[in-house]
Amino acid sequence: MPFAKKPQVFSAKINELTLGAGDKAVTLGGQNVFNLYAFDAPMANSPKIGIDVSDDPEQPSEGLREFYAGCDTLAQRAQKAAALEHVDFVCIRFDLADPNGANKSIEDCVADAKAVAEAVDKPIVVAGCKNAEKDADLFAKVSEALQGKNILVLSAKEENYKGIAAGAGLAYGQKVGAESAVDINLAKQLNVLITQMGVGGQNIAMNIGSAAAGYGFEYVVSTLERVKAAALSQNDNTLQMPIITPVGVETWGVKESTAPESENPGWGSAEERGIDMEVETAAACLAYGSDAVILKHPASIETVARLTAALM
Amino acid sequence: MALKGLDIFKLTPKTNCKDCGNPTCMAFAMKVASGALPIEKCPHMSAEALSTLSEATAPPMKSYKVGEHALGGETVLSRHEKTLVSKTLYAVQVCDCMDEAKQDEVLKNIPAVDYERIGERMYVEMVYVNHSPAKSAADYAGLVGKAKALGRPMVLSCTDVEAMKAGVEAAAGCDIIVNGATPDNYADMSAVAAGAKALLGVRADSIEQLHEVVEKLEAAGNKNLILDVGDASIKDAYANAVQIRRAALKDGDRTFGYPSIVNVDNLAKGDAHLEAALLSLFTCKYGSIVVCSEMTYAKALPLYGLRQNIFTDPQKPMKVEPGIYPINGADENSPCCLTVDFALTYFLVSGELERSKVPVNLLITDASGMSVLTAWAAGKFSSSSIKKFFDEFDVANKIKSRALIIPGKVAVMKGEIQDKLPDWSVIVGTSEAVQLVKYLRDEEWKKSYVEKAAPAAGETAPAEAAPAPKKVIPAPPIVVTGPYKIDGKEVTYKGHDPASRQFVTIGERIHCISPAIRKAMDSYDEAPILKRAAEQIAAGATYLDVNIGPAESNGPELMQWAVQLLQQNFNNVPLALDTANQKAIEAGIKVYNRTNGKPIVNSADAGSRISNIDLAAANDAIVIALCSADGIAKDNEERMMHCHNMLERGLHLGMESDDLWFDPLFLVIKGMQDKQMDVLSAIRAFSEEGLKSTGGLSNNSNGMPKHIRPIMDAAMVGMAMTMGLTSAIVNPCDQRLMETIKSCDIIKNNNLYADSYLEI
Repeated sequence: MPFAKKPQVFSAKINELTLGAGDKAVTLGGQNVFNLYAFDAPMANSPKIGIDVSDDPEQPSEGLREFYAGCDTLAQRAQKAAALEHVDFVCIRFDLADPNGANKSIEDCVADAKAVAEAVDKPIVVAGCKNAEKDADLFAKVSEALQGKNILVLSAKEENYKGIAAGAGLAYGQKVGAESAVDINLAKQLNVLITQMGVGGQNIAMNIGSAAAGYGFEYVVSTLERVKAAALSQNDNTLQMPIITPVGVETWGVKESTAPESENPGWGSAEERGIDMEVETAAACLAYGSDAVILKHPASIETVARLTAALM
Repeated sequence: MALKGLDIFKLTPKTNCKDCGNPTCMAFAMKVASGALPIEKCPHMSAEALSTLSEATAPPMKSYKVGEHALGGETVLSRHEKTLVSKTLYAVQVCDCMDEAKQDEVLKNIPAVDYERIGERMYVEMVYVNHSPAKSAADYAGLVGKAKALGRPMVLSCTDVEAMKAGVEAAAGCDIIVNGATPDNYADMSAVAAGAKALLGVRADSIEQLHEVVEKLEAAGNKNLILDVGDASIKDAYANAVQIRRAALKDGDRTFGYPSIVNVDNLAKGDAHLEAALLSLFTCKYGSIVVCSEMTYAKALPLYGLRQNIFTDPQKPMKVEPGIYPINGADENSPCCLTVDFALTYFLVSGELERSKVPVNLLITDASGMSVLTAWAAGKFSSSSIKKFFDEFDVANKIKSRALIIPGKVAVMKGEIQDKLPDWSVIVGTSEAVQLVKYLRDEEWKKSYVEKAAPAAGETAPAEAAPAPKKVIPAPPIVVTGPYKIDGKEVTYKGHDPASRQFVTIGERIHCISPAIRKAMDSYDEAPILKRAAEQIAAGATYLDVNIGPAESNGPELMQWAVQLLQQNFNNVPLALDTANQKAIEAGIKVYNRTNGKPIVNSADAGSRISNIDLAAANDAIVIALCSADGIAKDNEERMMHCHNMLERGLHLGMESDDLWFDPLFLVIKGMQDKQMDVLSAIRAFSEEGLKSTGGLSNNSNGMPKHIRPIMDAAMVGMAMTMGLTSAIVNPCDQRLMETIKSCDIIKNNNLYADSYLEI
């Protein structure tokens, strides 16, 4: 019997979520096929790539230090990052706000965010310091300061979703990220809770958890696959939010990326290892369902952009 | 794809001759369809019918071995559905179009990446030897001969039949794949592959054409194939890889039920990072052999880690290797933190240790991949296992510090560990990993540290040290309190008729995982134990489970004490004896009163605990038989295999089948939601074979909020009883659950209805 293609096109689709305003705005999601299965039906929007810029000037590699050389402030780094051709949005990360670390004040963070908004014309995603309490406050204040910029705050967790949904989503109309750690039941529950607060499902993005390849990544794989299967084949509208996966923050922390060449001479350049770790993890996230990935290294961004372009 | 009974019936002779032992051909066909009988049981099937059947019941994707490597055999598209069985293999491409120096360099670099990661050797498994039309057959043979010296299986890629013959000849003695069949040459190339007893790789310009060529090859009798997804573009190669696998596994198209070859060297065209991305992409979906230009550590470290993650069995706990893990630059003078090898525990604990920035040696012991308390309760994390670990890894000589911090949750083990490791100061650490940061930063552990006399120079203290005198608290005499009362109401055990068909509930509340019970067991304090027993009996429990933990030092005494305490106070309530300590179970049975039913041995499995079946057989006890060996069974086929193995063993030892209660292992809905119906089907299968069943039913609702659990448990017990579940290990104090069970017993006609049925 001759082979007849059986495209797997669903009647359900992933929500479209637009970040930013004006002609540089980007739209995530929208597809009614599994991620990257453009051969089944054209993807409404290609996967998007964000660049991760921390307020901490420390960089995990020589190449990144070179790239940001001469940039003294978060805004300068963000501007440099945003200027890269394939960057769709800039993710600024307030690592220094951590109360158990530098404990940078919220006022200083807001001032930084404002400076970034002035220096950058691409959409802005704001990531916190992982301290639930501080993040809730930080996201509310940044959301106020960046009104009209249509930013995404990354992200609300089980512990602080109320404050963030109210302070960023309801009060200032910003987009809300819902973060769970490779737990599909919690991912769904958070979406339900945030929508029950009054934030529309169309204004939510999910971070369902992330890991570097080799570091329990199978949980990320299964969570991504099961979320997409529920969203598309079961038309579960509590899981149809696009998925945004921070990859760089995970991959640039593992020894494969950071161990100096002197430690393992056979391993070769740390820069190359770091890039491949980021690229391979990102490719796997996209293969299993991420609608956007957030990366750190310009070479990784270039490569992932080539990959997704080739697949569309 | 499974055939239906009626389809099989059509192929039978329809003579109802009964030679197969069944009354009719229809009955026979139904049994074949369910897998209960092999088709060969019918001596009158025509050869043609047999081949149709074996074709129809064949797996959806062929599986092969090339050298020692498995290829194909997948049954699912996603790892969470069931295990992916054949990991992606990697090959490096060398071509006769390269100049000789380049060829030599490529070949020389192939062995460069070779390392071990969590028990798996990571290296380039194969060499991909390509022939360029511009070169001669002799050139090709020369290159194949050189590549052969690496001693790895080779994929010969060549569409010229004569050159391929030369290549195959040069490869003699080496495992090869003949990748060269095209729409034009497939017949001749197939003959070459057949001659070399090798898999034949097939390529074509389009997926439709590829399908056509495979059909022709199959028609000509060659079903040893591998499909090349092509290298026209990244988009086409990916589309083909996905569509081929999807057609085979989802749409049942056997023509595409073969493994695949993806050449990412040809797709990446010299862009090393893009090649890395493609290696990852095609490892995810769905390359069986992925060919690259070069394997560097930069590409390999993430890639092999990714592959290891994707191809782990989702049913088996992820384990880390036991060993000494120095954290934050720890050296031999840094204190030791001890925990189990469950991957999540490891990641959690090591993460918190790193956050503390305090140098610590993390000791990971083999606990079969269970979490701390589970491993402890199952006897997998005990003073003996820890002692064994210290000996095996020579910890005492590798580390000078004598501070050993154990998880707070197993504080009860402190004494036993201290006895076995007298030179160490055993310190009870925190109960939760998150508390470790403060605990270490503030050096809280030092408060409990006891300096041990340093062994004099030259003396090998650990071996010489006299064993510490074993302190065994003798069991106190049994206290019978007289009628036990709750809120002034007397609690009496109502009695149990083992022949009754009513559902048997086994109360689970006397379990050493509960801190109150653990403490009571440790000090022979009867009050908390009697209280929990009374509550469960008042709530209507049939049996009570008595989990005394691993009880390494005093198991027999403790179990005898507990058995007599409970039976003498509560009218010989029947008990399930629950511990990893077999001597304790035997001792318990010796003093057990059988008035209300045999004792239950909790539990045996088809793996390391199978001897508990022998124990039950020798002591005329019931045994709970977990249908698993190491980790959760991956499907019902495996569950039933374990079930039958244990049944056979029990029967062989003279047990009645009614005394083996099969446990399908109830699974957590938050995590394994898509496997719940499998568990229920397994219960139905037990029931259809006339077997009894039981299990820790409330595991299904683990992790759910308190107000949800009784609702979910009640729904689960209702569905499970429909399927034929005959017993469950439950919390009898859950009123909704117990009322549901009683109601189901009415509906199943196991108990005659009366308006007051809930009260009796």
